[in-house]
Amino acid sequence: MDCPIKTQENTDWLLDYAAGRLRGESAPQLARHVEACNDCRGFVAAQQMVWNALDKWEPDPVSLDFDRRLYRSIEAAKPASALPRLLRRLVGPLQPLWRPVVPLAAACLLIVAGVMLQTPQAVMAPADGSAHMERIEPEQLERTLDDMQMLRELAVTPE
Amino acid sequence: MQQRVKEVMGASVALDCDAELMLRVKDGDGASFGLLLGKYRASVTHFLYRMVQDQAISEELAQEVFLRVYRSRETYEPTAKFTTWLYRIATHLALNWLRDEKNERGQQRLDEISEDAPAREVVDRSPSVEQRLLHQVNVDAVRQAVAALPDKQRAAVLMHKYDEMEYSQIAMVLSCSESAVKSLLFRAYETLRLRLAHMA
Repeated sequence: MDCPIKTQENTDWLLDYAAGRLRGESAPQLARHVEACNDCRGFVAAQQMVWNALDKWEPDPVSLDFDRRLYRSIEAAKPASALPRLLRRLVGPLQPLWRPVVPLAAACLLIVAGVMLQTPQAVMAPADGSAHMERIEPEQLERTLDDMQMLRELAVTPE
Repeated sequence: MQQRVKEVMGASVALDCDAELMLRVKDGDGASFGLLLGKYRASVTHFLYRMVQDQAISEELAQEVFLRVYRSRETYEPTAKFTTWLYRIATHLALNWLRDEKNERGQQRLDEISEDAPAREVVDRSPSVEQRLLHQVNVDAVRQAVAALPDKQRAAVLMHKYDEMEYSQIAMVLSCSESAVKSLLFRAYETLRLRLAHMA
């Protein structure tokens, strides 16, 4: 085989060979080459030295409360996001049904608000109790019936 | 579940039991998240420690990694090995932290750690004080040699050496080609051979 050092090809084989990770047909081929090649033998020896040196570097164990801290962070993040997600899940499938109704409902609300503004006596609380309420009730009823009629007309009028 | 993983990952990627666990997490199984956490807590934290060389920060970053894994459960798709995805998150966080740290403090922190910080606990394999000191000196030399590598080379070496990842997987984590990873590793180990030659 060609020398990986001289050709600068398959240098990863040398790294894997030095780490004892080279598998397959290339392993015995390279082993034979390394035995015969001074450059590759030197490379493998130096690489094994690096490998052994890296083995000496052992990190400290992970803190015992690592999981507790993590689950606390997860829990802390939950209330802010869980409710909207739940609502989305519940309401999401119904979207095609209620979406078209929204503009109509908004229009109705606007009309009702307008009507209420035009009849302030109906909105304002009576100063002298239920007797006053009874006096204005027929007027209010009449207006409301008119409004409902108007709404019906609006609903049947083609756009 | 297995069928679902196979469909998504295709025939080229072997069935990844971690991806299967993650799909269970996606379906609301908290116990599967616990299994993944138990399996990768140490390796992710140690990878981050060797990247940033600060125990407290490595744990903070590892917390963030697992938090992101949990938060991403609903959008998770097993398009690659679970560990590729996991280490991609970890590497991204570590590289960002290193970039911010460099911008903020330059190399000051590394000097502080190597000179002023209290000596780290070393596994006591020998009763001899001299041997312990020698071991500490060697570990410090390794730590400094690794810290001096460019960030991407360092990440590649750590994944190759300590997590025994294949070149193709490292390439996916670092978003580069396999040949680029081989080149990164060759240069990184060359630097380490020179810097650690005195330990031979």
